[in-house]
Order: sequence, then C-alpha cells, then structure tokens
Amino acid sequence: MSANISGRRVADIERAPDSSVTTAPVRTASPVVGPPPRRRLRQTLEAYALLTPSLLGFVLFLVAPIIGVVVISFFDWNLMGSPRFVGLANYREMTGDSEVWRSVRNTLYYVALNIPAQTVLALLLALAMNRGLRGGKVLRVLFVLPWMAMPVALGIIWSWAFDPEHGAVNQFLSLLGVSGPEWLSSTTWAMPVLASINVWQYTGYTMLFLLAGLQAIPESLYEAADIDGVTGLQRFFRITLPLLRPSMLFVLVTNVIGSFQMFDTVYVMTQGGPNGSTDTMNFHIYQQAFQLFRTGYASALAMLLFALILLVTAVQFLYFRKRTVYDFS
Amino acid sequence: MSARSRRVLALAATSTLVLGLTAACGSSGSDSAGGKVTLRYGIWDAVQKPALQKSIDAFEKAHPNITVKIELNAWAQYWSKLQTQMAGRTAPDVFWDHVGYFPQFAKQGVLTDLSPYIKADKVDLSVYDPKLTAGWKQGDKQYGLPKDWDTIEQVYNKTMLKTAGLTQDDLSGLTWNPDDGGTFVKALQKLTVDKSGKHPNESGFDSKNVKQYGLALASPNGQTDWWDFATQNGCKLQDKAWGKWTINQPSCVEAIQFVQDLRLKYHVAVPAAVTNTPNGAALPAVLARKQAAVVWDGSWDLSAYQTSLKGNFGVALLPSGPAGQGTVYNGLSNALYAGSKHPKEAWELVKWLGSEQSEKIITAAGTVWPSIPTLNKDFVAYWEKQGVDVSAFSKGAEGTTIGYPLTTSSATYNVKVLDPFNQVWLGQQTPKKAADTVNTESNAAITD
Repeated sequence: MSANISGRRVADIERAPDSSVTTAPVRTASPVVGPPPRRRLRQTLEAYALLTPSLLGFVLFLVAPIIGVVVISFFDWNLMGSPRFVGLANYREMTGDSEVWRSVRNTLYYVALNIPAQTVLALLLALAMNRGLRGGKVLRVLFVLPWMAMPVALGIIWSWAFDPEHGAVNQFLSLLGVSGPEWLSSTTWAMPVLASINVWQYTGYTMLFLLAGLQAIPESLYEAADIDGVTGLQRFFRITLPLLRPSMLFVLVTNVIGSFQMFDTVYVMTQGGPNGSTDTMNFHIYQQAFQLFRTGYASALAMLLFALILLVTAVQFLYFRKRTVYDFS
Repeated sequence: MSARSRRVLALAATSTLVLGLTAACGSSGSDSAGGKVTLRYGIWDAVQKPALQKSIDAFEKAHPNITVKIELNAWAQYWSKLQTQMAGRTAPDVFWDHVGYFPQFAKQGVLTDLSPYIKADKVDLSVYDPKLTAGWKQGDKQYGLPKDWDTIEQVYNKTMLKTAGLTQDDLSGLTWNPDDGGTFVKALQKLTVDKSGKHPNESGFDSKNVKQYGLALASPNGQTDWWDFATQNGCKLQDKAWGKWTINQPSCVEAIQFVQDLRLKYHVAVPAAVTNTPNGAALPAVLARKQAAVVWDGSWDLSAYQTSLKGNFGVALLPSGPAGQGTVYNGLSNALYAGSKHPKEAWELVKWLGSEQSEKIITAAGTVWPSIPTLNKDFVAYWEKQGVDVSAFSKGAEGTTIGYPLTTSSATYNVKVLDPFNQVWLGQQTPKKAADTVNTESNAAITD
C-alpha cells in the first residue's frame, strides 16, 4: 500500500461531512457538458442500481436496527413474551440507577487511560518508522499483528499472563524481586490491565494511519524550514504536528468511539468485576439485554451511550475544524 | 437490449438474489423438502457431544426421513443465544433445559407440554427417577423428559492423597463445624504444604508461599461450593419451591463464612484470585498441576478429569456439617420448543433421547449419570474400567440433597451473585453483606 494514497484517503473521509456524499459518484460520472436528458436518466438509474446493494445493506443492517433500538427503549420486553409499552419508564429508571452511572464513570476512566497512551505511543512509533529504519517494514507488520488477532483469544491468553501465581507477568516481576498484585482481582488494577491490553492491541493500527499522515507532509516544507533556521522540536511542533491533524482527527475520533464501545476484553477477562470496577457501559448493556433479558432497559442505556459518543465526537470535530488544513500545496 | 441495460438488469437481479438469500438465512433453519425433515438440537457441553452424536446416528438410522443437527453453544453463551433465538422464533426444535431457566420458559409458553404425546404414545414415565420427572412438571403439564442427573462430590488427586497418608475412606468420612473446622480442616491441613514443607497448623507456616493446597473451590453460582456447605449446615436457599430466596439466614451466612475461612483463616484452600470466575483456573487443571489435592465438582465433569489425570483421580463423599451430609442434586431435560415447525418429528427425537436404548449409549460412554436409575450400573462399570470408583456420586444422591432452586429469578441471581461472592472469597466483603445484597436483588426479580 502506498502511504501517499492512504494519506489522501484519510483526508477524503474527513472531508465527507462537508461535501454531499450521495451526489459524489453521480458528479464524477457526468462530464462537464451534460449529456442529453435520456442518457442522463439512464445514467442516474445505473448509478442507483449500483448503489442499491450497499444501500439495502446499510438500511437493513444499520438504519433498521437503530430505529429498532429507539422503539424498544420505550418497551418492557424479555425477548420471549410480548413487549409492553412503558413510555419513558426505562429512561426514568436509568437516572436513578447507580450501576448505570458507575458504568459511565468506568467507561470514561477507560477512555482516559486508553486514548492518550495509545496516541502518544503510536505517534512515537510512526515518527521512528518515518525515518526509514532498516527492517522497518517487518516491524510495521509486527506492530499491526495484535490488531489482526481475535480479541477473545487475546483476552484468554492475557488472563493466563495475569494469573497471580502462574502468570508470566508476576513471574517476570518476581525475577526483579517485585511481588506483583492480584491483577484481575484488584479493583485498582483490573481496569488499567484492560486498558494496557487495548493499547498493546491497537497502537500498531493507529501508527499506520499516523505514518501515512507523516508521509503525506511535503518534504519542501521541511526544506523551507531549514532555510529559516527552524530545527528539532520546533520542526515537530510547528510543522509536523499541525499538518498531522487530518490523521489525528481520524485516529482520535475512531479510537475514542471504539474505546467507548469496548466489550470483548471485559467479557472474557472480568465480566465487569471485581466489585463492578470494570463494568463498562457496553458490558452493562449486554448484561441487561442478554443475561437479565431486560431488552427495553438495555436499549435505553444504548441510547445514553449513543448520546455520550455523539457529544464527545462533536466536541472533537469542533476542536479540529478551525485548526485543520487538508491542502498542503 | 443494449449492453448497458443488460448490465443494469444483471445488477438488479444480483441484488435481489443477495437480498433473497439473506432473508432465507433470517428465517428458520429447519427445512423440509420431499418429506425430509431437518431438526436442530441445542446443547452446551462439548464433553457430551461425541456420545450424543452416537445416539443421534442410531436415531437417524431408525428415522430415514429425519436429519438431526447438533448445535453446540458453551454454557456462558447458551442462554443468551437461546433466548435471542426465541425472540426471532428460530430456537432449536429440541434443546437441553436447565432447572434454573425452566420456570421462566414454562411461564412464557416457549416449551411444548409433552403430556398429550406421552399419553398417545403410552410412554412409561415410571422408568425415570420420580424426583427428576417431577422437576419438569408444572401442574399436570410435563415440559420435558429427564435426561440425566448429577451431584457434587470431592474429586481428588490419587498421588497427592497417598503422599499425605490418606485414603478415599478417610476423605469420605470427614466432618466440619464453624468453630474449629473439624476433621475436614485437619485433613486439608495435612494436604496443604508451604515451600519449606510446613503445614498450616505448624508454627512458621508461610501462608504467602504455599506449594500445594488441600482444597480448590470454584463456582459461578454456588452449586459446587457454598450451596453444598450451606446444605450441610441446614440452610435451605429458599423458603419453599417457587418461594423467596433465604440465603441471608444465619445457617447460610455461617456456611459462606466457613468457605471464606477455608481460604483466609485456615489457608487450606486455593486463594480466590486464582479460582474466581471468570478468569479462574479450571478445576481439572488445578488438580492435574497439583495446585490442590481435592476439588469439589459435579459428576458431569468426570470426562474432563479423565483427560487431564488419566485415571489418577478418585471420588470421595463430601464431608458432614453440623446438619449432616448434603449435596446439590440436579438434572437436565430435553425440551421441545413450542415454535418448532416439526413438532411431531421433534417429539420422536425427545422420546428417543429419553428412551432406555439412547441413554444406554450415552451412559456406556461415561459422560453423565442416566435419568433411568436401572442404568446407573452401566455408568459405574465404565468408570471402574478406567480405574475410578464413582459410587460417591450415587451415595450422595441417596442421602440428603437440595435441588437447584426453583424460581423465576434464576437469571438475575446468576448475574448478581458473581461479583459480591467473588469479593467475599477475596476477603473484601463480609458474607452477611453479600448474602443480603444478593437476596434482596434476587427476590426483587421474582415474577409470578
């Protein structure tokens, strides 16, 4: 994959909200001087025919379920019996449910542990890779490997690694003369353990995007900076970081959303314990829906998660909007 | 037709086809073409699948028009998946049912009442242990045929027991009490050794560096640990069948306290950080790697011990508590889904699975104790051949037993019990507080 191309692709994705997505294919298909009406109609039809499969998939597997969740959130439904309309009762219950607010706090804590560490590490790795290290391509693949592995399998392997007596982590620590804690049984350590596994898993993936961004920055800018006598850290903070913003925005938005939705590691490693310390929103929603079979209440919680993600994403976009340039020429 | 419009047509046709296919996947997987019927059979235990497949093969031979597909989903996902399938009306035609979930299912009308079929085909229910048949009954409706039974006993590592100078009879005759632990704790002290070879009742014993423990306990709900101690202490879990939970009664709390003491006061049981669900080590592995000499487990797990210990294990009775002996007695059934498109064929399968011929096939493979008591000897014979005396399970079943609690709030109990009790075993919460919390939350979820 050419890094330059992927750099542009990232920029395209971000530009999408400003331009109209649906008209794009039609626009590129039509020449500047419009064809005769009959041909244009046929072209439009053809475009829609091409769009139909993906549109149907989109509606069937995304729009319809989302509407379903909104509707179910006003019902009391255990999946087997018939749903009973309860109005806003699920939302009212939510406001007074301390377990829900604990899950919100846990999720925010997880995001706070996860995102800065992952982003900084990925950026450092990308900067190192961008120097064109020998064997860099092999390293790049190695860093991305954890992302390609199955999260559930990873969770099981990490559970073994963090076993207090037979686990690799504490055995290693004991070599250094440190007696490691009971990681997953400790309300203090369980969440940081989950976050560090996630950082390990996704840093390589994040690095790929940042590396693509770095390679899209024109060399000429650095040459101009050299002439102006800009060096070292200033180069990084004045040129690299600002011009990396398109990639940063993409990486932060997708990673923050991903972190808010974290589920598999909790499911495999802690089931929300110990003492609720890793009960994240997504796990709590799962538990309400598929272990306690309170589908209506779980749907209301899903709406809360959606609102939170929407809010955080909007803030991110607002922050980056004024500070991002996409055109480096 | 121009090339272009042909392309458009082809595209439209393809998308319709794709849609049609997805729609077909969405509807029930059962199909019948030319009188051929495919039944789906839902189970959760991989260990039992090979023997079950043998029985299914025999069934298919006798019913050439029926094909049976076993659908295996591990216990942790089984109920979520089943209930979701019921919402989509696509549950398996026949599936394993558990006492913990049966009441809610019966209430929701997702199970077929088998009594008309039983009557029409003159099926003799008296071959089954009456306790089991009754467990799947509500009023005069029979919601499943008994599949098996199980009890909890002590599984031990033969080598480790021998090294400590103990025998199976010694282990089977122990007693415990909440004051000094009784002979049960004394035996476990013998089996617990620290790095320098000292036992917990000796001075200088280092509880932070234990090489091997006497006992390992693990259970996500209590069935294989504190429920049994509770029964031996006169605790009933419920005030009556279908009644309220009573796990915060003094006799129950005392038993929970004793389980905590085994770990934190006597230091004879593997620490909770190692055994707590969900990241805890599997008991057969704990026994095989000599982390503990004795574990408490259900008879359904025997094959797992055989895999990891190859006959180097035995089964002893649970100890007696202040109220005498006691173990949890439970069993599964084969249920017929009310939404099955082929109820007649599905009934044939249920009837076959509950028949003596089928249970003989399964029992002869040593997977589970049969629901037909006259076949118990086949199960014993299988394990004798492996060098394991499993009679403790049946002796336990003949003594004082407690059934799996009958309540509509099992799902809630199962979710709510995990975290607080894990905390109790770690010493982070008092037994009384955990019992109070779980009791209140579980009772609040009872529906009638």
